[in-house]
Amino acid sequence: MDELFERLPFILDGAVITVAVSLVSAVVALVLGLLTATAKLSRSRLARAVATVYTTVIRGVPDLVLMLLIFFGGQLLVNHIAYEWFGYEDYIDVNAFIAGTLTIGFIFGAYMGETFRGAILSVPVGLLEAGYAYGMSKRQVFFRILIPQMMRHALPGIGNNWLVLMKTTALVAIIGLNEMVFRAGQSGGATREPFVYYLVVAVIFLIFTTVSILGLRLAEKHYSAGVRRA
Amino acid sequence: MALAQTGSMPAASPAALVAEDIHKSFGDLEVLKGVSLTAKEGDVIAMLGSSGSGKSTFLRCVNMLEHPNSGHIAVGGETLRLVPGKQGEGLVAEDKEQLRRIRSRLAMVFQSFNLWSHMTVLENVVEAPIQVLKRPKAEAIAYGEEILQRVGLYERKDYYPAHLSGGQQQRVAIARALAMDPSVMLFDEPTSALDPELVGEVLRVMRSLAEEGRTMIVVTHEMGFAKEVSTETIFLHEGRIEEAGPPLEVFNNPRSERFRQFLEGTLK
Repeated sequence: MDELFERLPFILDGAVITVAVSLVSAVVALVLGLLTATAKLSRSRLARAVATVYTTVIRGVPDLVLMLLIFFGGQLLVNHIAYEWFGYEDYIDVNAFIAGTLTIGFIFGAYMGETFRGAILSVPVGLLEAGYAYGMSKRQVFFRILIPQMMRHALPGIGNNWLVLMKTTALVAIIGLNEMVFRAGQSGGATREPFVYYLVVAVIFLIFTTVSILGLRLAEKHYSAGVRRA
Repeated sequence: MALAQTGSMPAASPAALVAEDIHKSFGDLEVLKGVSLTAKEGDVIAMLGSSGSGKSTFLRCVNMLEHPNSGHIAVGGETLRLVPGKQGEGLVAEDKEQLRRIRSRLAMVFQSFNLWSHMTVLENVVEAPIQVLKRPKAEAIAYGEEILQRVGLYERKDYYPAHLSGGQQQRVAIARALAMDPSVMLFDEPTSALDPELVGEVLRVMRSLAEEGRTMIVVTHEMGFAKEVSTETIFLHEGRIEEAGPPLEVFNNPRSERFRQFLEGTLK
């Protein structure tokens, strides 16, 4: 037990990395998701095709496989480009944090894209038309009418994606990022008490997700302003 | 009426709105077969017609919510520059900046209100003046509150649209239009989505706007309003103007057989 308390700060430092990976990946996913949804609803056939290929591939391949593919494949690609195009000969080691957040962001961008697409379709066209009719630009209509209107419909989906995303960060331990799960594995191995350390990790995850659920509830309340409850 | 004003009006003043020879097809269906209209300052033009006659489509072409296939549009003497769209959608504005400027002078009131439901009544009214006309916030709010007084909804300014009746919502939509100080107001069947007992309050506001000399194009089924308030009544049938003129003349001596039938059908 004493050993656990000694190692706890080490694990908690890892938890901070877990949160950081989650937040950065979520930002990447939200931006990619909005772009994907806009592309899927756009008039351009090319944009629709690119977005459809993206969501189909990402949603059809296991996260773990994608992670390994992007991390190791990306590493090779970066080095290949550096050597062939710029004549750079030293080996470039891709930072596990960056690789991990980009991969998770890339994966969840596809899921967010579907969430946003449905939410955008639920906004009455007339509200957007009213914006245009009063001289608003596309940008103004997007940020001042479309986003606040669709958020109410998107939030439950965003919340789901966020919870799954947070749990998916455990996968970055595999590519060597020393976040919470990675450190629990190390500690469990060193003390021969894996059960204790993984249990700690499970509890910490549960705390994070519970706090998230409460936060999401507040956000849903915020974006439901003006909606009459039946 | 227009005749009484001509003596005092400067001769060179351009028409508030000119729409010329507007054509519009949806696929093979030709909805507008060349509709023209000129509204001088202070004109109230009522557009009548059965559903499918193209009157709403015409109004939506005027502010480019629909892309006309051909035609000209000018607001206050400024011609909207139109070029063919790349995706075969009809004419599009050549200069988006100009389109936004012209749209900001044509305030539209929709059949289904289209209030922004995530904003309060006052926020709805000040949104476009602040975002589009770049009015200072305090000034826009003061003016917005004044307009809400006028449509009798100042007490409801912090309510959300969902908590108002249809008639109140449409009065907010009219306030939203007035807050832009528009040169022309476009009404697209403003009372058609309302319960009969709520129509009166909206028509009263519109009547008072007409009395203070606002330029209005009103697509409507309200014969009484057209007859008593409009300076010109236009009857659209199958995408063409069948009958047009001062309301008394048009209603009392309709020249078009179709308009006569239309009147018999509606004035029961």
